[in-house]
Amino acid sequence: MKFAFLLLILFCAVIQAAQPVIPIEKYALKNGMRVILSRDNAVPVITLYMIYDVGARVEEKGRTGFAHLFEHMMFEGSANVPKGMHFKIVESNGGTLNGSTHPDYTDYFEVLPSNKLAVGLWLESDRMRSLAITRENLDNQKEAVKQERRLSFDNRPYATAIVDRWPQLAFQNWQNSHSLIGSFEDLNASSVEDVAKFFKTYYAPDNAVMVIVGDIQIPETKKLIEQYFGDIPSQPKPAKPDLSEPSSFTPRSEVYHDAHARVPGIIIGYPGPIRRSRDYYALAMLDVLFTGGPSSRFQLNLVKGKESLIQYQAEMGWPFASSSDYKDPGDYAMFLLFKPNYTPQQIIDQAQEEIAKIQNDGVDAKELDRGRTLLRSEQIISLQSSLHRAQLLGRYEIFDGKPELINTNLENFLTITPAEIQGVAKKYLTPERRTVLQILPAPAPAAQENH
Amino acid sequence: MRCMIFSFLIAGTTLMAQTIDRTKPPETPPVPSFKMPPVHETKLPNGLSVVLVEDARFPLVSMRLSFQAGSKFDPQDLPGLAGMVAGLVTQGTTTRSYRDLAEELTSIGATLDGHASPDVFTLGGSVLSENTAKLLDLLADVALNANFPENEVQLRKQNAKQTLAAQRSQPAFLANEKFDALVFGSHPYAFFSATMESLDRMDRKSIVQFRDTFLLPNNAVLLLVGQLPPRAETLKLVRDHFAAWREKQVPAAPAKSFPESKRQLVLVDRPGSVQADIHVGRLAATRTDPDYYPLVVGNAILGGGASSRLFLDVREKKGLAYDAHSELDRRRDAGVFTAVTQVRNEEAGPGVEAMLDNLTQMAKAPVTASELTDVKNYISGGFLISLETQASLTDQIDLVNTMGLPRDYLEMFTSRVRSVEPDQIQAAAQKYMDPGQATIVVVGDAAQIEKSLEKFGPLEVEKSK
Repeated sequence: MKFAFLLLILFCAVIQAAQPVIPIEKYALKNGMRVILSRDNAVPVITLYMIYDVGARVEEKGRTGFAHLFEHMMFEGSANVPKGMHFKIVESNGGTLNGSTHPDYTDYFEVLPSNKLAVGLWLESDRMRSLAITRENLDNQKEAVKQERRLSFDNRPYATAIVDRWPQLAFQNWQNSHSLIGSFEDLNASSVEDVAKFFKTYYAPDNAVMVIVGDIQIPETKKLIEQYFGDIPSQPKPAKPDLSEPSSFTPRSEVYHDAHARVPGIIIGYPGPIRRSRDYYALAMLDVLFTGGPSSRFQLNLVKGKESLIQYQAEMGWPFASSSDYKDPGDYAMFLLFKPNYTPQQIIDQAQEEIAKIQNDGVDAKELDRGRTLLRSEQIISLQSSLHRAQLLGRYEIFDGKPELINTNLENFLTITPAEIQGVAKKYLTPERRTVLQILPAPAPAAQENH
Repeated sequence: MRCMIFSFLIAGTTLMAQTIDRTKPPETPPVPSFKMPPVHETKLPNGLSVVLVEDARFPLVSMRLSFQAGSKFDPQDLPGLAGMVAGLVTQGTTTRSYRDLAEELTSIGATLDGHASPDVFTLGGSVLSENTAKLLDLLADVALNANFPENEVQLRKQNAKQTLAAQRSQPAFLANEKFDALVFGSHPYAFFSATMESLDRMDRKSIVQFRDTFLLPNNAVLLLVGQLPPRAETLKLVRDHFAAWREKQVPAAPAKSFPESKRQLVLVDRPGSVQADIHVGRLAATRTDPDYYPLVVGNAILGGGASSRLFLDVREKKGLAYDAHSELDRRRDAGVFTAVTQVRNEEAGPGVEAMLDNLTQMAKAPVTASELTDVKNYISGGFLISLETQASLTDQIDLVNTMGLPRDYLEMFTSRVRSVEPDQIQAAAQKYMDPGQATIVVVGDAAQIEKSLEKFGPLEVEKSK
């Protein structure tokens, strides 16, 4: 308690007056489960957010897509929660929920009216304690995942190229390059034993962080957490997979023909820096200048100006992460949709030319100031929702062991200098370090037969 | 005193630890309510309605300037015009280029975008509260003085064509387009988006004319929500920027005439599709109809969220789909009810059948008491959660202003949902969900799924454009 109070004073001193300060209380249960509480009584709503330190990058060969398949299993019932009732119990208590699988973590949330907190704790503790792992549930969820793949990837333009092809091109270590959604063969091969082993290894309390944000009373909340989670046994800490990429890099380029795409697209990526290194902050600021807001360089120079791009997006860790959950090895990558009267090579050259301008001419102070204001206002906007606050707190704990970054990290971006931005443009964004995937429209097979 | 509290807490803990029962969900009180912040309304002499709402939670101010000028006001030969104007209105004014506007917005921590829905044309954005006056200045400049530079018009037309081509590759887009054409008939609500032809026809003249006809003070509501300056100062700012704006007669909205709902079945052929996109529905109640709340509650029981009948039956029990849900499109002059799912090709027949069976069941038998209690909590909780962000609170208030809703709409929403009875839901289901009068649109590979759809009635097959 005293610790949290001291932290608060510290944050107040660092952050500008207009910045809302998120209160944080962090502690651990005896079984190792870390807990972060953040009180805010503006609206009678809470978010209960569970983040597990396991993602698709731990998968083994022959089991692509397994972390995601397992995430589905988490909604299939547990000792006291009958199959299919997880959704029903949350929704009939006025809440919303979901789970998602990422390269480096898997998360689950319930957003509930604040007086329903105990319901969320009961559900999350029951499945952590006693997940129902049965063949019937597994078979059912294999089908659901396949259906999700058909709907969200195989039937959509660009999606298969992005999720299956891009990682294979960008990375050489299989842990990083394999498909996160997985192949149908691997999904079929997964057994009940695989699920049980994965559950025991990774879904232990000491491999999880629980975050509760919103209209709570701290002492009562702590008591409830102890009652529901306190006696779940801990497990040995799982080994971390080796994610390292070879130190040498050869530039690569590939063309993917997409039957669903009507507009040509291109992905350009560069291996990025170590998370939360000075270079990481500088590259993230550079991305703000390239693609953030209506006065970004890509908007002014390429969408306007050359009139070549139709849409653009770029992120540290694109497509599965953004700067808050970027984890090296990862790329700073951009995805560009462009007008067919330009060749893919012209688009690659135009993007590299924008990079060259920074490398050669540096950054204008006014422009950087605008970028800083943009980041500051985006942060205030994003911190309004209790779910987003919980996600940030949980991710900063899992990645950095420092949930207080929710209050302090902005400073690290805002203090980046023009010279540092120019430095990372030169160091990271060179053609010698570049991966390119062109996604070009291909006629659908059936349509080909007709014409 | 401190000591007493301490021992009381200890006693409480022991008691709770003894009685915790993991076998069933803990008992909790009903969903709490949230008091909406007070709304201050006034009108300028030129007819501009002004609505101010204090929201002190964040150092932000959100703004909406909303006109009765959505896409239903598009001329017959120019579908998509309102959307084009909305995209272009922030691309330059008589005194500011696009670059000027964009740099000023970024430097004050603001956003400002135009958007056209079927009913309403909105200029909306938000700003760090210390810069409220500056965003108000930009908002007024854009609303009054947009000059639609020829190069921006040409660029937007070109990009809109590319975007449209990309959208046309999406099965859901094709399904919605066909569905709207069938249920809205000759009413301009059927203008689902611009077409390649209408984009060719749009020019600076038609764009300026739309602005001059519809973007008028007496056709608009200005809404400011957030940490506002003191009332008198805020109103002075508003007058300074908007009082000189000239009012003008506004054309009437298109007549509310829609085709009779009837059973029809159309397959839009999308060769190579690995799934069939199934949409079933018809015209339904608007927010001001007496049937509205029973329909909202019935729709949520049928297809709202992951414990709805469609989700449990089509996804969980039958394993046909990743998603199955139903939705209400609540326009000012018409509502539309639709049930939607996507199934793999070989399940197209069973997919349609499962959707129709669930619709029939809603009309045939009353919902159960537990379904009703659960869904009322689901709707009231969702409403509460939606008030967390200022943008969402602002949109809710804007909705009341622009859709002709009673002033107590938000305040009363939850209690009106809570008062709905099973017989009212069944009556609404017989009226709006029974598949006897349903329009069914399926988008998929005709070569693979046409046969399996024939048993649902006369089938019309169309090539996707």
